[in-house]
Amino acid sequence: MSAGNSNWWSRFYARYGVSGPAALIMFVFFLLVPLLPGEFWTVVGTEILILGLLAMSFNLLYGYMGQISFGHAAFFGLGAYATAMLFTSLKTPAGAIEIPEFLLSLLVGPPVAALGALIVGFFCVRLTGIYFAMLSLAFGELLFYIVFSWYSFTKGDDGIQGLLPPHFFQDASNYYYLTLAIVVAALLLMWRITESPFGYIMRTLRDNQRRAAFLGINVRLHMLMNFVIAGAFAGLAGALWGPFSRSVSPGLLGWQESGIAVFMTLIGGAGAFIGPIIGSVIYTMLQAVVKMYTVYWPLTIGTIILLIVLFVPGGVLGLVEKQLKARQGRMHDAGNGTDET
Amino acid sequence: MAAILEVTGLHKHFGGVHVTRDVNFSMEEGEQSAIIGPNGAGKSTFMNLLTGYYRCDAGKAVFEGQDITNWPPHRIARMGISRAFQISSIFSKMTVAENVRSAVHAQMRRSFSIFGVAARIGVEETGRVLALCGLEGKRDLIAGELAQGDKKRLELAIALAGRPRLLFLDEPTAGMSIEEARSTMELVDRLNRELRLTVLFTEHDMGIVFNHARKLTLMHRGEIVVKGTPEEVRANEIAQKVYLGERNA
Repeated sequence: MSAGNSNWWSRFYARYGVSGPAALIMFVFFLLVPLLPGEFWTVVGTEILILGLLAMSFNLLYGYMGQISFGHAAFFGLGAYATAMLFTSLKTPAGAIEIPEFLLSLLVGPPVAALGALIVGFFCVRLTGIYFAMLSLAFGELLFYIVFSWYSFTKGDDGIQGLLPPHFFQDASNYYYLTLAIVVAALLLMWRITESPFGYIMRTLRDNQRRAAFLGINVRLHMLMNFVIAGAFAGLAGALWGPFSRSVSPGLLGWQESGIAVFMTLIGGAGAFIGPIIGSVIYTMLQAVVKMYTVYWPLTIGTIILLIVLFVPGGVLGLVEKQLKARQGRMHDAGNGTDET
Repeated sequence: MAAILEVTGLHKHFGGVHVTRDVNFSMEEGEQSAIIGPNGAGKSTFMNLLTGYYRCDAGKAVFEGQDITNWPPHRIARMGISRAFQISSIFSKMTVAENVRSAVHAQMRRSFSIFGVAARIGVEETGRVLALCGLEGKRDLIAGELAQGDKKRLELAIALAGRPRLLFLDEPTAGMSIEEARSTMELVDRLNRELRLTVLFTEHDMGIVFNHARKLTLMHRGEIVVKGTPEEVRANEIAQKVYLGERNA
């Protein structure tokens, strides 16, 4: 019985790594969140999911392709604005929106963000390392500034208000479950992509671009495709954000928002598929709690990031994986020992 | 027999330094030959020019009738020209099998496939290459954690993954033990004999050169000094003076 169990476990672990069990446990918790009394944790849970999806999309660039982007929120913001604008134009004069129109407005986020990523990516993939990071930051700030100052089109600094979802989804639990369904579907798709030949080509580009080119890989074209995919997923997260917070503002495109995705990924662990979501759970919950007691949130998160980078460079999941491996090694040794006696 | 590779008037300079000067060179299909010469003779530069890593300033390279001069590396690789590097250049955070498998995918033109399952594509070819290079037993190890000799073998495996027709090997045995070097060169011989793979390698160990190359080209200061069979090159006066002589002395 126990042998059968450990067999099942080892096969599961071999296939999905530490991400498999972590994802299963989290999924169960996520299903149960709205059962908690009050709306507070349901709202926090929605935020965890949306920002987690943003961080996951960022990690397609960082963890899989090996390039760090400080402008990734630009595509989050583009998706949010695209949805917000269509949402506004589909509203009845009374200010309400029907469910089909609402879902349609969500759908427009990813393609608009992907188009933005195609244009920005065309330039960014010519560079790597710090130059890639700086150019992505520059484009992010450029897009932020366009949205910020083009008042006639984007309402500038005022943002777009009144994104009240259809009556059914005004209930926090219902919006939460909608978000959960969309984010889970997106993550399954993302998993599929990271396990595809393309996903492994991304890892070769992370490890050794020059070598990949000599295998017949068109490095820039593959990087561009990944940039667009990552942008589309960020746009999906952005699409969910507007109706969730009932408004969008230029800050969604800014570097601080991009920084959140970077933080979450570092906290959770860039090396594991599900790492950024774990990072989002820790970051967002901590923020929700810390802000209840003090205004020193930036100081708190700054300290945490400092400790993570210094002492747990693989993030939380990296640490768990290390512990599991060490334990398996010990168990293996112990098993051999008993065999011999 | 038809020339698989025809290089004429190849020229490259970095600033005022001419690293490759008016090189004319050709290889026949199924040939196995070596380029020798002292450090800085231009051997690696020559390979870098032919695989698209550098652009040449003048001259022409034709592979199987197709002008490939100054093509980017990925296009040259897709034509069937592969190379292994002197300092092993592998994908260090991926497993041995993943290294080879991705190389196989690239050559199968499946690198853009985002919905296929990587673990189920090109499995046979990956297994064949791993077996060929004696890496089956290490397939699940992380490439960066391999011993130096195994890294070089993986380097060769990656280069072979795409079933190339022309293979450049830059110092294939550098850093290997005598035993590893011998088995690696035996593998190269076998590939050349059984698959009619055309091979060009550089090597400092003259024992290996004279045992495994049927033709030699001696380069010195960016120019080809002498070409011919090992015996002809050994007998050549200039060759003895610029390269071989210092060893015989």
